[in-house]
Amino acid sequence: MKVRFWGVRGSLPVPGSKTERYGGNTSCVEVRTEAGTLLVIDAGTGIRKLGKELMAEAFESGRGEAHLLISHTHWDHIQGLPFFSPMYRGGNKLNVYARHRDDVHLRAVFASQADDPYFAVPLSETKAEVAFHELSDAARFEVSEVRVACARLNHPYIATAYRLDADGQSVVYVSDTAPFADILFEDAFVAGPPSLGAELPRTDREKLTAMRTGIVRLCEGADLVVYDTMFTADDYRRFAHYGHSRPGDAVAICREAGAKQLVLYHHAPERTDAEVDEILADTRALVARERTPLVVTAAFEGLSVTPGGVSGS
Amino acid sequence: MRVTFWGVRGSIPAPGPATVRYGGNTSCVSLETSAGELFVLDLGTGARTLGLSLMADAFARGQGRATILLSHAHWDHIQGFPFFNPLYVPGNVFKVFGGTESPALLEGILEGQMAPHYFPVQTLRNMGASITCEAVREGRAFDVAGCRITAAANPHGRTTSLAFRIEERGKVLVYAPDVGYPQGKLGPSVQSLYQGADLLIHDTTFTAADQSRHAGRGHSSIDDAVAVAKAAGVKALAAFHYDQDYSDAEVDAMVAHARTLVGEGAPQIHAAREGLTLAL
Repeated sequence: MKVRFWGVRGSLPVPGSKTERYGGNTSCVEVRTEAGTLLVIDAGTGIRKLGKELMAEAFESGRGEAHLLISHTHWDHIQGLPFFSPMYRGGNKLNVYARHRDDVHLRAVFASQADDPYFAVPLSETKAEVAFHELSDAARFEVSEVRVACARLNHPYIATAYRLDADGQSVVYVSDTAPFADILFEDAFVAGPPSLGAELPRTDREKLTAMRTGIVRLCEGADLVVYDTMFTADDYRRFAHYGHSRPGDAVAICREAGAKQLVLYHHAPERTDAEVDEILADTRALVARERTPLVVTAAFEGLSVTPGGVSGS
Repeated sequence: MRVTFWGVRGSIPAPGPATVRYGGNTSCVSLETSAGELFVLDLGTGARTLGLSLMADAFARGQGRATILLSHAHWDHIQGFPFFNPLYVPGNVFKVFGGTESPALLEGILEGQMAPHYFPVQTLRNMGASITCEAVREGRAFDVAGCRITAAANPHGRTTSLAFRIEERGKVLVYAPDVGYPQGKLGPSVQSLYQGADLLIHDTTFTAADQSRHAGRGHSSIDDAVAVAKAAGVKALAAFHYDQDYSDAEVDAMVAHARTLVGEGAPQIHAAREGLTLAL
């Protein structure tokens, strides 16, 4: 498999000179197998440029097929889809996967994004064949030769982590999520930060423990783990109720799971290139101190990684 | 009046080295009147940086107030709304004007963007500031924050987009994003809306060649903008709402072409870029 990063930012796109190196587009990762099966994880604004590149291939002549795995439908994970050129070419096939919800059908979430008054081309008028597949929290399924496994994440309104196994390699995508302590996120709005380290109700504790176990298991022996590390320690103290992790949280999960490479991902919008450099250096120092055999990389637009090949710096 | 550009891009934010000079954020312009009142014209992603700059001020203390004028609700004109920090400070007061049939419809459009499956804040009610919506009646002038505002619905592909004329103490700003004139012709109501403006901020999404390839999109070329600016006798034209694929060099070329079209006379041509302030 080959993994390429098209958008690495969280919350909203942040153009400008301070984000030039890591990139300002929101979440989008391409995974391609040796046989050419194409999976795309999340459809933030990064998917626009991927779409343009795909139009130089089979998608131009309406013979392309892509599988889009959506972690959750917050804007920064879906806002690029209306600008994904292969959608507007007849014959192309797009399979969209995301967690089932009782309150709204997946198709309705994407249809409303493309409807009047928000966008000029309604979903019903896109020429590609778009199919929606709703998933359970612990779904297991196959996309051609790729085995896909899901696990629930700790994020407001709930998000899904994906593990992909193919070509004898494994990639896990863990975004967006809070650490599995301090607060349990479900559907409700959370107005302010929880008091950190406080004892949680037993049912919340049990759910968080089960969720964490599920994520460690999903990352078990993974060649590559892409992890939401949007927060610094200070951000976490102030904004834990937004539901994101610190690099140390990701390192702990990877260490327990025996994962080989960690990619820091979903950078905060205000994070400058220099600050991401610093966070990367600090995380590498942490891993070195702990003598954890984990390669750490910070995602940037254009980064291409072969899982298990350990490249990219 | 002081006009400042925070986002000058159309359709979708365009980050990257090729857009650093003009900027990659979507449409957002602020207007500070000579009496010190604040207007915000559209809330594309440029609204995030505007919001950050305001948080050093009365808006940080919950004592700020502003009038928001929305041309229409395509994403590139509202997607910065959830990231506009002053909206999260109780005490701040915002009036939002848009071209819907009723205030409730406008509020519904903004709520649609905040819905729980799209954004964690879930509803405007959780934001903190006072936000009231008002429906704009086309052609009927109204007074707000010491300014006289007139709006006209411009054709924009399948839909319409409001252009606003804002007058204060003899100075006139016209904001006309997202417009594709049928056969390039200005209607009489638009002609009078633009007439004699000190500054016309106008859609210049495309070069003439690119526009002819994207005719159904409802956007102007730089040539269209220069032509309407001349026809309406405006003093200065700001090129605005550049296509997301145009590099800084391509915008440079487009603006140079506009200056060639104008020659020696009016209008003066400005190229909108993030951070540019123009005093009227």
